[in-house]
Amino acid sequence: MFNNMKGRCIEMKKGIGKALVGEWSTKTIVTMAVGAALFGVLMVYGGIPIFSMTNLSTAMIVPVVVGAMYGALPCSLTLLIGNIIADLIAGNGMWFDWSIGNAVLGFFVGLLPVYGAYITEGIFKVKHAVIYAVLCIIGNIIAFGVVTPIFTYLFYGGELKVTFIMAGFACAGNIAVLLIVGIPVLFLLAKRYASRTNLTEE
Amino acid sequence: MNNKFIINFQPGSTMLHKLTGTTKVRMFIIFTVYLIMSWDLRLILPVTVAGIIGIISMKPNWKPIKFMLAFVIILNLFNLFLFFIADPDIGTKFCNSRTVLADLPGYLYLSGETLWYLFTRFIKILSSFLISIIFILSITPSEFAAGLNSVKVPYKICTVVELAYRCIPDIVRDYQNISTSMQARGVEMDPKKVSAFKRLKQMVMIIVPLLLSSFDKVGNIANAMDLRGYGKKKKRSYYAEHEMTKADKVFRVVYIVIALICVAYIAYKMLAPGYLQLWYPFA
Repeated sequence: MFNNMKGRCIEMKKGIGKALVGEWSTKTIVTMAVGAALFGVLMVYGGIPIFSMTNLSTAMIVPVVVGAMYGALPCSLTLLIGNIIADLIAGNGMWFDWSIGNAVLGFFVGLLPVYGAYITEGIFKVKHAVIYAVLCIIGNIIAFGVVTPIFTYLFYGGELKVTFIMAGFACAGNIAVLLIVGIPVLFLLAKRYASRTNLTEE
Repeated sequence: MNNKFIINFQPGSTMLHKLTGTTKVRMFIIFTVYLIMSWDLRLILPVTVAGIIGIISMKPNWKPIKFMLAFVIILNLFNLFLFFIADPDIGTKFCNSRTVLADLPGYLYLSGETLWYLFTRFIKILSSFLISIIFILSITPSEFAAGLNSVKVPYKICTVVELAYRCIPDIVRDYQNISTSMQARGVEMDPKKVSAFKRLKQMVMIIVPLLLSSFDKVGNIANAMDLRGYGKKKKRSYYAEHEMTKADKVFRVVYIVIALICVAYIAYKMLAPGYLQLWYPFA
C-alpha cells in the first residue's frame, strides 16, 4: 500500500518533458499501432457525411483514448501514421498536409497528462474537461487553420481557398466529435481506471 | 469494406511482388513525391501508363480494385465539381491567362484553363491511386517495416507502421461483425432514415466495443514481443528482407534517376520565380 502511494507520488512529479514524450515501452508501441489502424479504418469507413466532403469523423475518438493513456507524442504519431495509412487504403492520393495537420491536432489532444489529467490513475475532473475542450478548439484551429494550409502551399502550391473551406468544415466536425463524444469517453475511462487502482488518500 | 482482400501477408509470385521491401518502399516514396511536385501532364502521364502496366503485370484479384476505382472516380469527380464551384478562376492562378469558354449563371464561368487544371488534377489523383494500389498489392507488413527501416526511420516507428498495417484486416472484420450484430438488434444504420447526430450516437455504439476489443489485444501482443526480446537493442534486422535480385538492381537505377529528376525539378521551381506550374498546351 505504502509503496503504491510512493510510486504514485513519483509519477505525479514526472516532468512536463516526460509527459510530452510519453513512455516508449513495447506496450506503447503496440497501442500506437492499434490506434493508428483504428484511426485509418474509421477515417475511411466510419465517417458520417453531414455535408459534401465533410464528415463527422468518428475516428477522432482514437486520439482521445491514446492520448489519455500515453500522452502527447505517441498520440500525435498515431494520428500521423493513421492518416497516412488511411490515404493509402482509400487510394485517394497522399495528402501529407492533412496528415501533418492531424499530427498537430493529436499533440494538442494528447496533452492531457501535462495539465494533470492522469486518466490511467482515474483523475479527470470538470476542470480538466474545460481545459481539454479549450485545447481541442485551439488545436483544431492551429492544426487545420494554420499548419495544414502552410503545408498545402509548400507541397501542392496554391489552392488555399479550397483548403480553407475544407479546413473549416473539418474543424467543426472534429470539434463536435472531440467534445460530444470525447469528454464522456474520458470520464468513463477515468472511472474505469479509478475502480482498478483502488487507492484512497488518508 | 472490400479492402480485406487487398492487404496480403504472403508475397505473391510476379516480378513486382518479388522485389525487396527496400525497393518497394523507396519506389513508392519517390513516385509519390514525383506526383505531388508536378502539375505537368507530360510528366504525369508516363507514370499513369507505368502504373497501368504495373497493375496488369501483377494479375490481381480485380473485383475489389474495380470497386475502389469506381469509388475514387465518383468521389473525385464530385470533388472537382466542388473545386469549380468554390473558385471558378482556379486555372488562371496556375496559367496566368483566361480563356472564357462559356458564361454560367451567377459568378460562375467556364474557362479553358480551369477545365485543364481540373483534368490534370484528375489524372494526378488517378496516377496516385494506381501507385498506392500497386504498393499495397505488392507489399507485406514485414517488408513495409524493412523498407522503412532502410530509409532511416527509427525501428520503433517501423514496428508501429507494420503492426498497424497488419491490424487493418482484423479491425475491418471486427467492425463488420459488430455492425451486423448491432443491426440484428434493431439499430437503424441507413443514412436516409436517421439524422446525422443520431447516426453519430449509433456509430459510437459500434465503436466503443471495437475500441475495447482492439485495445484488449494490446497486452497480449506486447507481452509476446517482450518475451522475444523486442526493444532490447538499438538496431534491428528484418527476416523479410532478402538479397537484391536482378530486378531490384534495375529498379534501383530507375528510382535513383527519378529522384534526381525530382530534385532538379524542385530546385528549378524554387529558383525560377516566374515559372508556371501548370503546363497548358492551348495558350
